Amino acid sequence: MNYFCQSLWAIFVKDIVTELRSKQVLPTMIVLGMLIVYVMRIVCEAPSTSTIVIGPAVLWIAFLFSGLLAQERSMAAEEQENCIAGLLLAPIDPGTIYIAKLFVNVIMLCVFEAVVVPMAFVAFQLSVADRWIQFIIVLLLGNIGISSIGTLFSAMVQLTRGRGALLSILVLVILMPMMIPATFALLALFSAIPIKVEGYGALAFVGSFNSAVGYMTAFDAVFFVAGWLLFGFVIKD
Amino acid sequence: MPTIFGVQSTPYIVIIMSNRPQNNQNSEPVITITSVSKAFGFRSVLKNIDFHVQMAQGVCICGVNGAGKSTLLHIIAGLLKPTQGAVKICGLDVNSEPKAKSQLGVILHKSMLYPDLTVFENLLFFAKLYGVKDSRDRVKELLEDFGLLPYRYDKAGVLSRGMLQRLAIARAMVHRPVVLLADEPFTGLDMEASRYFISILDKFRAGGGTFIMTTHNANLALQCCDRIVVLDENHFIFDAETSQIDADRFIENYLIYARSPD
Amino acid sequence: MRRILLLLAFVLLQISTWMALTLGQIAGPPANPDSVVRNILYVHVPSSMCALLCFVVLMVCSIGYLCTNRPTWDLVAAATAEVGTVFATVLNLTGMVFSHAEWGTWWTPSPRLITSAILWFLYIVYLILRANITQSQHRKARICAIFGIIAFLDVPMVYASARFIPDVHRANFSFTSAWQTTAFMLNMAAMVLLAILLTWLKTDILKNKAMLEKESTY
Repeated sequence: MNYFCQSLWAIFVKDIVTELRSKQVLPTMIVLGMLIVYVMRIVCEAPSTSTIVIGPAVLWIAFLFSGLLAQERSMAAEEQENCIAGLLLAPIDPGTIYIAKLFVNVIMLCVFEAVVVPMAFVAFQLSVADRWIQFIIVLLLGNIGISSIGTLFSAMVQLTRGRGALLSILVLVILMPMMIPATFALLALFSAIPIKVEGYGALAFVGSFNSAVGYMTAFDAVFFVAGWLLFGFVIKD
Repeated sequence: MPTIFGVQSTPYIVIIMSNRPQNNQNSEPVITITSVSKAFGFRSVLKNIDFHVQMAQGVCICGVNGAGKSTLLHIIAGLLKPTQGAVKICGLDVNSEPKAKSQLGVILHKSMLYPDLTVFENLLFFAKLYGVKDSRDRVKELLEDFGLLPYRYDKAGVLSRGMLQRLAIARAMVHRPVVLLADEPFTGLDMEASRYFISILDKFRAGGGTFIMTTHNANLALQCCDRIVVLDENHFIFDAETSQIDADRFIENYLIYARSPD
Repeated sequence: MRRILLLLAFVLLQISTWMALTLGQIAGPPANPDSVVRNILYVHVPSSMCALLCFVVLMVCSIGYLCTNRPTWDLVAAATAEVGTVFATVLNLTGMVFSHAEWGTWWTPSPRLITSAILWFLYIVYLILRANITQSQHRKARICAIFGIIAFLDVPMVYASARFIPDVHRANFSFTSAWQTTAFMLNMAAMVLLAILLTWLKTDILKNKAMLEKESTY
């Protein structure tokens, strides 16, 4: 257990230090996020559009696409000098590498959100009233879901020709179902829809804010466990 | 005894059945490779390799390009899984028991070092990764032993090839392994760096360590190893102790073989 | 053996199509009583079953490959992905035609319909992933197997619960006569048989291709 924590912490610190030193990804992510928010604001400038409805959509799009940048880097950095072999030669479980990289990606997305979310609030005139804690929980659940799939797939695409482009289609197609409860949760928080929705349609299927959070947690748990178990198969030969 | 490479040595097939050159020590072999085969699809790269290495023995695996030397080394290191057979380091199976990996230090073609981290940070990372106690002290000790102290704040990406190789060796030894594996370690090294590497191997062997090296430079192989094996196609064709080999004849015949391996 | 099954599938399809066209339209919640397009249901529902069946087989083969590392599992998975893509395309297109004829809209974002779209996308992305890995067959097989497992974990959660919740996509329709039910069942059987046969044929083609490409490693 002690060894597990120590090796996890070592890989985590190594990745954070590398990122802080090279400053490769975080600035690019943040600028991309800002650009997405502003482009969407400009594009949705018809008189009848309600910005509270578009806001959550824009947030998730920004997270998804910028998250891809972070995830791509997380495994690409290990390809340089065959460092992945260096990690595999150590007596650690590949799952440990996965969890460490997952933490790094989640932290990067959190930093990204800290900058871009206020910007989106300003651009789309959003407000969460007093539901801050729920808002942060929803964002965190989204982060974990996006990062857990992204970390696993970024290890996969290192072995392919397509790399970045391929990573984007892989991650987006797998995260499509999670976006339904995620959108519901944010729409409910921004008071665009009532907390409980009846009738037909995707939103009604989710039903209520609590079940949206439940769905997201379920997706996160499944993706995390699947990623942890399957990571070894990806990086070992 | 038949003559292979101008040297009177027992051919490998006979070695299994009759008396092989035995080491003085009668202890259990440190590295045991039993019936290892590796096939990539329809192409058989290694077939039924049986190989034992005793403690404090330095083995060199020679062969032409594509003979399977790197594959064999990767299998011993646990990076590749053999299609058949098992590899045991100090009695522990390398694929199923993580403790076996903590006895191994490996040097490959690429340095496996992070270019953005300094020399000190690279070594510290690997020390922590292997669970070395008092990692900082161990890293300082390594920096002194390998003469890397003046470079400790330099990023690994700016080091010269010779220094990078030293750092790679230090990285391989950070957890005090019992076995050292090196894949073509002399590539790109000048005479001085090669001599330095050989001195490290000698010191390692004197301390009771075992190493396996692959190279296609028969000269250097004779200088630093106790035992030379030659891999051809997918099996060993030659296995003898260096003390029993006449250097010039061996090199001459080996070069002839290397140019036309039929 | 395969020729017999192929003939059987062909005959069944012919019979059921003839029966479908001559037996009048399927009854159901009346939206447009004179529409003949209703009969597209004969194709829509079985192709949905087949697309899902192919998906399940894909997942099973993925797990099989990861456990045993035998190339056959991977070849069957690849064949299933291709056949499944065809059925998923048919599913989506027939669904769109049907809903336009019945209700006037081409598509709405209800869970069932979203899931069908996701199914199609998953198949397509699987095929793109396969095409993008060129180094070795073993690596390709392993990576696609992992993607297959994650994809399967993704979909059924939404799909299974969609059956139990009222949805725009109506899951109930009734037949006016026993003949229609028979026609429907025949069509279902024919489609499933076709799916199995196509997968079988494709697996053989892929196997021969892999044998010919001796220089590429598996």
